[in-house]
Amino acid sequence: MRWHKRLLVAGVAGVVAMTASACAGGQVRGAGRTPQPSTGTSTGTSTGAAEAPAAKANDATFVYAPNLDVVTDWDPASSYSNEIIAMSNIYEGLTRYDAEARKPVPRLATEWTSAAGGKEWTFKLRQGVKFHTGAPLDAEAAKKAIERTMKINAGAAYIWGAVKTIEAVDASTLKFTLKYAAPLDLVASSGYAAYIYDTAAADKLKDGESDAGTGPYTIDTWQKGKETELTLKAFDGYWGGWKPEQYRKVAFRVTPEITTAWQLLQKGEVNFVPRLNPQLFAQAGATEGVQTSQKPSFQNLLVLFNTATGPAKDVKVRQALQLAIDYDGLVAALKGAGTKASGLVPEGLLGHVQGMEPKQDLARAAELLNAAGYGQDLEELKLTMTYAQGDEDQKLLVTLLSSTLKKLNVTLQAKPMAWNAQWDLGKKKGQDIFVMYWYPDYPDAYSWFLNVFKSADKPQFNLSYLKNAEIDKAIDALPQLSATDALAADQAYADLQKKIIQEQAAVAAPYVQTYQRALSATVQGYTDNPAYPNVVFFYDLKPAG
Amino acid sequence: MPRYVARRLGQAFLVVAGVVVLTFVVTRLLPGDPAVAFAGPKATPQQLAEARARFGLDDPLPVQLWNYVRDLATGDWGTSLRTRRPVLSDLYVAFPASLELVGAALLLAVLAGIPAGVLAARHRTRLPDLGVRVGGMLAVSVPVFWLALALQTVFAGSLDWFPVAGEYDAALDTTSPLTLWTNITLVDALITGNWPILTSTLRHLVLPAIVVAAYPAGVIAQMTRAALIEEGGQDHVRLERALGFGETSILVRFALRPALNPLLSLIALVFAYAIVNGFLVEAVFNWPGLGRYAVDAIAGSDVPAIAGVTLLVALVYVLANLVVDLLQGVVDPRARQR
Repeated sequence: MRWHKRLLVAGVAGVVAMTASACAGGQVRGAGRTPQPSTGTSTGTSTGAAEAPAAKANDATFVYAPNLDVVTDWDPASSYSNEIIAMSNIYEGLTRYDAEARKPVPRLATEWTSAAGGKEWTFKLRQGVKFHTGAPLDAEAAKKAIERTMKINAGAAYIWGAVKTIEAVDASTLKFTLKYAAPLDLVASSGYAAYIYDTAAADKLKDGESDAGTGPYTIDTWQKGKETELTLKAFDGYWGGWKPEQYRKVAFRVTPEITTAWQLLQKGEVNFVPRLNPQLFAQAGATEGVQTSQKPSFQNLLVLFNTATGPAKDVKVRQALQLAIDYDGLVAALKGAGTKASGLVPEGLLGHVQGMEPKQDLARAAELLNAAGYGQDLEELKLTMTYAQGDEDQKLLVTLLSSTLKKLNVTLQAKPMAWNAQWDLGKKKGQDIFVMYWYPDYPDAYSWFLNVFKSADKPQFNLSYLKNAEIDKAIDALPQLSATDALAADQAYADLQKKIIQEQAAVAAPYVQTYQRALSATVQGYTDNPAYPNVVFFYDLKPAG
Repeated sequence: MPRYVARRLGQAFLVVAGVVVLTFVVTRLLPGDPAVAFAGPKATPQQLAEARARFGLDDPLPVQLWNYVRDLATGDWGTSLRTRRPVLSDLYVAFPASLELVGAALLLAVLAGIPAGVLAARHRTRLPDLGVRVGGMLAVSVPVFWLALALQTVFAGSLDWFPVAGEYDAALDTTSPLTLWTNITLVDALITGNWPILTSTLRHLVLPAIVVAAYPAGVIAQMTRAALIEEGGQDHVRLERALGFGETSILVRFALRPALNPLLSLIALVFAYAIVNGFLVEAVFNWPGLGRYAVDAIAGSDVPAIAGVTLLVALVYVLANLVVDLLQGVVDPRARQR
């Protein structure tokens, strides 16, 4: 055989072999679902005659462009990741947090009361609610859902830690008895682990073929790893009913690159981009056909000083470090991606304090350092710091702080790390300064104090290693106050923040992250609710006109 | 030939075994607790302990290595800590899309690179040669990420000639569902005669394939030119010239054939390289391939997924080289003696 014939035979054999080995056996991609009638008018640009209107922006389909996988865990009990965006539209809790009113509002529960100093809670359930499985929602079903979540004890299931017993008093009354007082109406509004679902279908949820929620949307298709990873469709039996102008279909188009998301938004191929960089966000504000939304989140940056070991054990050093941070410069450099913090608790939560904005004061910082035996003409102070790898905002803080501290004869050895490595080192008290974001799993300021500042022999998130019995006592009193006396709770939170930030100088809180969203100008009704990060409640939206 | 095949297979096996051990050791040496990727950033000590027990992360390293190798041998590449699915299933979804992109890119690279190399060799030291050399240098040196963004902005954003991103129009999943046989969209659409998906995929493929093809095309053009110029000094070329064959005819009919051998090796190397080089291109064009999976795995410290991607890329390198070695053995019997 001539060489080229041999080559041809070998090539054909190779292709045949590869095809045979790769053979998947004739599955149909994206099929097996109810095809949705194309009821919308595409506002996107059609790029080919052979192409049908895409999962593009139109008056029937809302397209969300997340930058990460949409779903990693379909179980509403253990789900604790990006899927909050989809899950919050498929599942509902007993309550939902209203960040404007700073309180929970009815969802599956229409009213609730607490008794026995916040140790007993009774929720009245909404009538006429059906799960997507067809089963009706009653107190017994809600009880089983919460008990299953508590039993699995994964993700954010700890939020139910105060619950001792749950009782279905009658079909529409659910009674919780707690081990200790807690604001259960806030717990029940959590974006994680507070979903009420049909436990009879819970074991069939893992493959994303079906769901067991009560929310306005249900799963249409899920194709893991594909660009349009997930589509949701309207649940016709939703208790809230449907109006003709609402979006009845939602598509999640995974778009890792910000610039690509921006192009898709401009072309009308997606409706919502959860985050742009400051430059593109500014451009979006001036672009026809695009609207923007900017709102402070519930996530703030904490610069935790090692109060247990090393040079930062001296409170004067910690106070000097607090004063060395260029808060205004940092917020300016963030170009809208961060808002200067006031205290530890972000605005919109009970416990937020006005007038606690920190300020840089280098002269006072130098004095404090001198008093601690460091500074110009004295011993050089060397500090180690860890922060999140790949986080440009934290990197800005590090850059600014390093250059400021250099002037004070302080050398900062800052190390960017992956979270698991940074956390591991932190648990071993391996640094002088630990930088991290904190956000509450349910909209309650208690999360910061219990997790980050309560004494712990084996630190988990108390990475300032603060140990103070007086502060612990005040923290322990918070849940009962929140459950029974909001005004007193507000004051208690304010006092605690003064103790932790000003007296103990265990932490500096430079800024609260700001959500910068861009969405099609045709979308009406969007409100950013920081209690549910990146979540769009699609049911509340409608296309203009 | 059988001894040659056996020798090459043995070498390939050793390389893969080495990669398996190296991947395992490197991923286990990474600082931090991998269980955090599974249990979540705010996991309780109990949840972390459960995750460690579930994935055998508390076992001594030799035991973990043994379990890893044993599982690999039985087709179990572990469970992704992030997606909570078998790594092999995840790779099975992601890899065909990468294969599709890189396959198309290499086809483009060969179709553009070889003629460009011939053109440069035919007009050596003249303007076409200079053009090919400069073009080749640019193609090799321009960062793919920049090229991807530039092409996307100009040809999809401004001129609207091609789609901005995606593998094909997602609505076609409803209007024209694709039956999967190989999991490679283009091939399946062709096999099943699904023309809407075929045309949509081809349109979506153009820009990312050009970007991924840039580097291989540049290298292939340079290599073809160099090989043809070298071949031009051989006795057989002088004879063909004396016999009255034209320069182009000599290059294409007689000189190109012996130049193909090193080109085949080169194509095998750039094929595997293009898969990794394509990761960034996939991110820019929302191509649902291995790139997104790998980037997310690294960002999430998903050790089994990182190991799976590494092993797969290594396998591609080894297989591509093995196939070329075997093809060279078929094309040129002298190769079997080397």
